[in-house]
Amino acid sequence: MADVDITSQTMDGMGPHGTKVGLLRVLGPAHVWALGVGIVLVGEYMGWNFAVGKGGAYAALIACWFAGILYSCVAMIDSEVTSTVASAGGQYTQAKHIIGPLMAFNVGLYLVFAYTMLEAANAITAGYLFSVVAQMTGHAGDLDQRPFIILVIMFLAWLNYRGVLATLTFNLVITAIAFCAIIILFLSTSGVLGGGIMEHAALFEGHELPYGWIGVLAAMHFGLWYYLGIEGTTQAAEEVRSPARSLPFGTLAGIMTLLIAATLTWFMCSGVLPWEYLGDGVNGSVAPLFDTARLSGSTGLLWLLGFGTLFATLASANGCINDASRAWFAMGRDKYLPGWFGAVHPRYRTPYRSIVFLVPIALIFALGAPLDQVITFSILSGLLGYTFMPLNIILFRRKWPLDTIKRGYEHPFHPIPAITLLAICSITFFAVFLGYGTQLVAMIGFYIVVSLWFHFWRYRFVNRGAQFTMPWPKPRGY
Amino acid sequence: MAHYVPPKQGKASQLFDVIVLVVLTVGALFVPLWLGMAGAAKTVAAPVTEPTWEALGQNAAQAAKYEALGYTPESAHDLILARFDYSFSAGALLTMIAVILLYYFLILRFSEMEYREVISEKFGE
Amino acid sequence: MDLWNWLEYGAWGLSALLGLHMLVDWLKTDSTYSEDVLTSSREGELEAMAEEHKAH
Repeated sequence: MADVDITSQTMDGMGPHGTKVGLLRVLGPAHVWALGVGIVLVGEYMGWNFAVGKGGAYAALIACWFAGILYSCVAMIDSEVTSTVASAGGQYTQAKHIIGPLMAFNVGLYLVFAYTMLEAANAITAGYLFSVVAQMTGHAGDLDQRPFIILVIMFLAWLNYRGVLATLTFNLVITAIAFCAIIILFLSTSGVLGGGIMEHAALFEGHELPYGWIGVLAAMHFGLWYYLGIEGTTQAAEEVRSPARSLPFGTLAGIMTLLIAATLTWFMCSGVLPWEYLGDGVNGSVAPLFDTARLSGSTGLLWLLGFGTLFATLASANGCINDASRAWFAMGRDKYLPGWFGAVHPRYRTPYRSIVFLVPIALIFALGAPLDQVITFSILSGLLGYTFMPLNIILFRRKWPLDTIKRGYEHPFHPIPAITLLAICSITFFAVFLGYGTQLVAMIGFYIVVSLWFHFWRYRFVNRGAQFTMPWPKPRGY
Repeated sequence: MAHYVPPKQGKASQLFDVIVLVVLTVGALFVPLWLGMAGAAKTVAAPVTEPTWEALGQNAAQAAKYEALGYTPESAHDLILARFDYSFSAGALLTMIAVILLYYFLILRFSEMEYREVISEKFGE
Repeated sequence: MDLWNWLEYGAWGLSALLGLHMLVDWLKTDSTYSEDVLTSSREGELEAMAEEHKAH
């Protein structure tokens, strides 16, 4: 009886492998853009400014552009691989087919943690925003931020639970508003329209490079935050109508949007806020674009950027829930994690158990840990993922040269992007080491322990040959 | 080559695996915090006893911004003077590099072993 | 009690409601459908479908 309403659906999800309930293919390239940019854009509204704190304003700009190069490489490499491996799980599935199961398990965890921590960071920021608005509207005493933090996570999880199309359409709308808010703020404060309020020269005087050049290196740590999460577009692969075309298009359009938004954000905030204030995202400027609007003296801009910040955090948390649950789901489906997680909701067609399971995890971190620690946890997981990508593409091209598999997109200048990416990742590891070395070692220690756990215990539940699902020829050299 | 048939995992065992993962995750973030080892604490190396904007190294434009943000020299003192300490020992750096390399060596090594098995089962010997 | 105090209670309430809705729906779904149907999703259907299409 259970099959009746499912079989009445179209071909979607009715694959020949015996799939009775699969994810629904409904998304277009605009949704991919919204998923990618939506997750990341919050990085311009908060978090990137820790880079200013680690090295000063110029260091943050240099970091912004170097991280931009890093992510352009990521986007190109990812687009090529994903245009052939179109499956929920994204880089996890890529790793499984190209490098091997243990790498895939690690990559899957990178994804889940990078996104779940980012989601927690977003909820913290949203809670803070509510408390600022409460203060501005004359609330006596401190607002209890917890109910708002929980509400953000609950509401978005609920939205995700109910279906992917509504979730990402919601994301498209609020991401577009948040992006427009940045552009409008730029136009009205930079002097392009009317008088500008930028004072770069006076504000930088005497504080050009407060830590010297090592500060520039150190700033790379949070420089990633301008773009972190853009690689998440691949998670939608199983829900996009034509993945081979939409995914590269949405991803590359996304990185271009972000390069513009990141540079404009740096320009505005550093021209209005003193670097010590801007660079302290805990005691100083939690939401730098919002603070910039505050100093512009315009109430209209203040509300616009207030809503921009709120929407950006919601869009990001929303995308994170989407991506983290897809990765968790994909690992469950392969029995890398308990197979119970590999379930799809028969009506909403979402990985509902993974979505619900990750809610309390996000809450633990959102309610229990300080913002910069949460961000560092997220960045480190992301960084480990980016270090995997060059290995991935080099092996991909070696095991399946261009003439053996048809790719939807071939990235140019191989292997230069891979080598550049690897080099910038090494620099960023060093940058994280400066100031956050303990977390780095703790994090890697964690991954070593779970890797051993996977290899010696968990892997016994995994089907060997069946997990290789792509219709590819045998890899060279095996 | 004979196909590997994985054992069916029971409910309790599945639950246990999830608990292990969650404990490890929460541990990785909170243990450094609890031990007070989480770095990144900024400290004020040289406090100024009677802070004025000049004494804090702020020019007129910078001071004006701080006032617009609602700060006085006293309340902005810690915010302005706190700095990271980037000095590190070669030993700590080498440890980090060794840990990262060990990690990648480990996963690439094990992955390759597992991957060969996958390929030989999938494509036959 | 001002507006924000009410909003705080509202947020607690709404969170609980949304959480409860997910929980109820989850339990209902799990008891209505068999585990085989729920976890029948397989990776790489699109690729397999494209292949099958060619074969016909």
